[in-house]
Amino acid sequence: MAKKLNMRKRYELLTRGLGWEPTYQSKEKVFSNESYEGIKITDWSKWEDPFRLTIDAYWKYQAEKDKKLYAVMDSFAQNNAHLNLADATYVNALKLFIQGVTPLEYQAHRGFARLARQFSGEGAQIACQMQSLDELRHTQTQIHTISHYNKHFNGMHDPFHMHDRVWYLSVPKSYFDDAKSAGPFEFITSVSFAFEYLLTNLLFVPFMSGAAFNGDMATVTFGFSAQSDESRHMTLGLELIKFLLEQHEDNIPIVQGWIDKHFWRAYRVLALVSAMQDYMLPESPMSWKEAWEIYFVENAGALFNDLARYGLRMPKYHEQATAEAEHLSHQVWGTLYNYAHAASMHFWLPDEKKMDWLSEKYPNTFDKYYRPRYEMWAQMAKEGKRFQNGGLPQLCQVCQVPMLFTEVSKDDPMQISYRSSEFNGEKFHTCSDGCKDIFDHEPEKYVHAWLPVHQIFQGNCGGAAIPDILNWYHFKPEDGGDYAGSADETRWKAMHGETTGAASSDTESAEEKAAA
Amino acid sequence: MTYEITIDPTGDTIEVEAGQTLLDAALRAGIYLPHACGHGLCGSCKVTVLEGEVLHGDASPFALMDIEREEGKCLACCATPLSDLTIEADVEEEPDAHNHPVRDFVGVVSKIDTLTPRIKSIFLAIEHDGIDFQAGHYINLLIPGMEDTPRAFSIASPPSERNLIELNVALVDGGKGTTWLHNELKIGDEIRFSGPYGRFFVRESAPEPMIFLAGGSGLSSPKSMILELFEHGETRSITFIYGARNQAELYYRELFEELAAEHPNFTYLPVLSSEPADSGWEGLRGFVHEAAREHFGGKFAGHKAYMCGPPPMIDACITTLIQGRLFERDMYMENFYTQASKDAAPKSPLFKSI
Ligand SMILES: Cc1cc2nc3c(=O)[nH]c(=O)nc-3n(C[C@H](O)[C@H](O)[C@H](O)COP(=O)(O)OP(=O)(O)OC[C@H]3O[C@@H](n4cnc5c(N)ncnc54)[C@H](O)[C@@H]3O)c2cc1C
Ligand code: FES
Ligand SMILES: [Fe+2]
Ligand SMILES: [Fe+2]
Ligand SMILES: [Zn+2]
Repeated sequence: MAKKLNMRKRYELLTRGLGWEPTYQSKEKVFSNESYEGIKITDWSKWEDPFRLTIDAYWKYQAEKDKKLYAVMDSFAQNNAHLNLADATYVNALKLFIQGVTPLEYQAHRGFARLARQFSGEGAQIACQMQSLDELRHTQTQIHTISHYNKHFNGMHDPFHMHDRVWYLSVPKSYFDDAKSAGPFEFITSVSFAFEYLLTNLLFVPFMSGAAFNGDMATVTFGFSAQSDESRHMTLGLELIKFLLEQHEDNIPIVQGWIDKHFWRAYRVLALVSAMQDYMLPESPMSWKEAWEIYFVENAGALFNDLARYGLRMPKYHEQATAEAEHLSHQVWGTLYNYAHAASMHFWLPDEKKMDWLSEKYPNTFDKYYRPRYEMWAQMAKEGKRFQNGGLPQLCQVCQVPMLFTEVSKDDPMQISYRSSEFNGEKFHTCSDGCKDIFDHEPEKYVHAWLPVHQIFQGNCGGAAIPDILNWYHFKPEDGGDYAGSADETRWKAMHGETTGAASSDTESAEEKAAA
Repeated sequence: MTYEITIDPTGDTIEVEAGQTLLDAALRAGIYLPHACGHGLCGSCKVTVLEGEVLHGDASPFALMDIEREEGKCLACCATPLSDLTIEADVEEEPDAHNHPVRDFVGVVSKIDTLTPRIKSIFLAIEHDGIDFQAGHYINLLIPGMEDTPRAFSIASPPSERNLIELNVALVDGGKGTTWLHNELKIGDEIRFSGPYGRFFVRESAPEPMIFLAGGSGLSSPKSMILELFEHGETRSITFIYGARNQAELYYRELFEELAAEHPNFTYLPVLSSEPADSGWEGLRGFVHEAAREHFGGKFAGHKAYMCGPPPMIDACITTLIQGRLFERDMYMENFYTQASKDAAPKSPLFKSI
C-alpha cells in the first residue's frame, strides 16, 4: 500500500496547481497589485498554509455552524427572549455593534475578495477567499441576530446607510477605507495582523461577555460561531507577517511602518469600544484598562519579543496607548453624552453603583478627573439644564474622532491634545502624534478624508439644522438622547408590565414599529 | 491509568494519563501539535482519531462540528483518552528521523573523567544488544532518590557504540541530581535509565552545509552527530562553533582539532567568553552567536543550523541566525532545560518549534 501523505502534502495537492502560468498576458499584468507597494516576494512556495481547509470541507462546516446558530436565533425569537435581558440599556451595545462593526465585516469581505484575486500565491489566494466568505457570513449572521432586537428597540433600522454618513461611525469606516484603498499587502497587514491579531480580543471579549451576562444567547452563539473563524483569521495575520519578513529584508521597514500606522488607527477605533465596555454594559466583567493589559500588553509583548528577532519592534506609540488606558473610556463616554442628541443610540450618566465600580477600576483617575464631571452634569440635569454641546466638534483628519484625547503621556491629562500639519498651504489638524505621523507620511491621501463635520458645514449633509442632518442620517427623533424617558425605556417598562401609558404590550409595540 | 498514543504520520508514541488532554501530553513529550486558544474554541488543534476512543471535553460545538465528531475528529486541547489511541495530526513527517522504541536499561559505570572543573564524562556500559539510538537523542537518568523526576542527558558518543554510551554532565548550582552524579556516583555502580528520546537529529537528506552551535555540556549531541557523520564519510561542509567560559572549561579540543586536520570540510572554532586577556589564548573571544556572526559575515541563508546547550545561548543564536536570514524551517535545537527554566518568559505563537 502506498504510504499515506501527511496533511500538509495532501492539502498542497488539493490546492496547488490552481495558479497556472498565464500565456497571453504577463504575470505582472494579471496580478497587477502585487508589486507597487515595494514588497518583494521571491518565492510564494515558502508560504505555509496557516490552516488546511478545502473548499468542500469549508462549505460543510460553515453550513453546520449556520444551522446551529439559526436554531438558537429562532428559539430566541420564539421565546421573546429579549424580555429576559438584565436591562434594556444593554441593547445600546448592540446598536453600536450593528452600526459600527457589522459594516466593517462587510468591508473586510470586500477587501479579502480583492486579495484573493490579486495575490499570485495559491495558498494565500485560498486563505483570503475563505476569509472573504467568512466575513460575509459574519455580516449576515450579525444582521440576523440583531434584527430580532430591531423589532423592539430603536436605532438599528438602517446601519449601512448610517455607517456611510454618521459622524461617530466615520471613525470605524475611515479605518477600513484607509486599509481598503491601500495595496493588498498593506490591507492584510492592517486587517489581519494589526486589527485581528493584535486587537480583536479587545473588541469581541467585552461584547460577548456583555451578551453572556445579559442572557443574550443569540449574540453569544454568534460570538462562538465567529470565533471559530476568527482563529483562522488570526493565524493568517501571523503567517503573513512572518512570510513578508522572511521573503526579503527590504520588506522589514515597510512592514514596520504599516504596523505602526494600523496599530494606531485600530486603537483609535477601539476608543468607542472602551466607552461601551466601561459604561454601557450593566455589569462589566472587566474594565477597558484590564482588558488592555491582558490582551495587548501581555500578549503583544510576548509576540514582539519574538518578532524582534526579525528586526521588528513594538508599534510606535504603544506606550501612549497603555498610558491612555486610564483615561480613554471616560473621555469618550463624556463626549458621547455631550452629543447624545445627535446619535442613534442612548447615552446616560453612570449611576452611583457604576461610579463606585469605576473608582475601583481606575483608582488613579476616576475620582480625580471624571467623577466630578458626571456629578456636575447630573446636578445640571436635575435642574433642568441637561448639558449638551450645541456646536460641532473638531475632528482629527486621520482617525476622525472628535478632538477629545488629552496629553496623558505629557503628564497633562486635562489638556486636549492638538497637532497640526501644513500641506499645500493648508492646515490640517490631528489628535495625537500617532495620527500626525500617519498624516505626514501620506498627506495626499488624508486631505481627501470625508470628515462629517466639514461636510455638514459645507452643506453636504441634508441641511444646516441638526434635525435636517439627523434626517439625512436616517435617524428618527426617538433614536437618540438620554435613555431615561426614551421610547426604548417606555417600551421596556411596558414589556415588563410597568405601565407608563405608552405601548401596552410587546407585540403591539413590534407592530407599531413595523408600521412606522 | 496511563494510555499510549501513537501519532500518525510520524509514528511517535507518547503516554497520556486518563484525564490528561492529548495536547498536554504531546507538548510535554516534546511533540508540537498545532494549537491556539487552548480551550476548545478555535479548532486549531483538531486531530483525527484513527483507533480508540476519546471524551470530547469542553470542545465548542462550533469549533468541533457534529459531522466532524462523526468523522472521528477531536480537539486535542480538550479531548482525553478512554483507551490507547492512534491519532492523525497535522505534523510534519521527518524522513530523517529514526524511530527507536523507548526501553528501560541498567547501565554500569565503567569510567568517569573530569573534563573540566564543571563537567564530568560518565561512561555507561550496557549489556546484550545495547541501545539503539540516533545521534542527538537523550536518555532519562533515574538518580537514586529522585526517580519520579528523571534527569535528561544527551548521549555524547556515536550510535555505532551501542554497548557503551558517554554522557557529559555539567554541575548545576543548587542542582540535586547533577551534584549527586558528580559527588556520589562511582565506577562499578549500576544506574537505571530509559531512552532514547528526542527530536534533535541531523537532517541527513538535506543537501545544505551544516552549522553546529553549542555551549557548555551542550557539546554532547554535536559530538555524537559529527562523529557519526564522519564515520559515514561526510562530504558536506560542517562548521562547529563551541563556546566555553575559559580554557579550563574547554574540552575535547584535541578531538575536534584532529578531526579538522583530517577533514578539509570540517571547521572547528572554539570561542571563549571570559578568558583573561593576557592568557595567551589566540582563538576567538566572545559568545557563540557573536563568533558565528563574525565567521559567516552575518549571513546564514542556505545552511542548516543545529544548536545545543543552555537556553540563553540558544536564544541568542536563534536571533543571530534570523538576522542572518536563516529561519525556523532550517534550524534545529535541543535546549538543556532545568527546573529553573520553568520561570522562563511566556512563549508567543510566532514559532512552532523554537
Ligand atoms: C533534552 C535535554 C537534554 C539534556 N542534556 C544534557 C547533557 O547532555 N548534559 C548536561 O549537563 N545537561 C543536560 N541537560 C540538562 C540537565 O537535564 C539538567 O541540568 C539536570 O536535569 C539538572 O538536574 P539537577 O537535579 O542537578 O538540577 P535541578 O533540580 O533540575 O535544578 C536546576 C536548577 O533549578 C533550580 N530549581 C530546582 N527546582 C526549581 C523550581 N521548582 N523552580 C525554580 N527553580 C528550581 C535549582 O536550584 C537549580 O539551580 C539536558 C536537558 C534536557 C531537557
Ligand atoms: S487550541 Fe483552540 S480549540 Fe484546541
Ligand atoms: Fe469577521
Ligand atoms: Fe475576521
Ligand atoms: Zn486622530
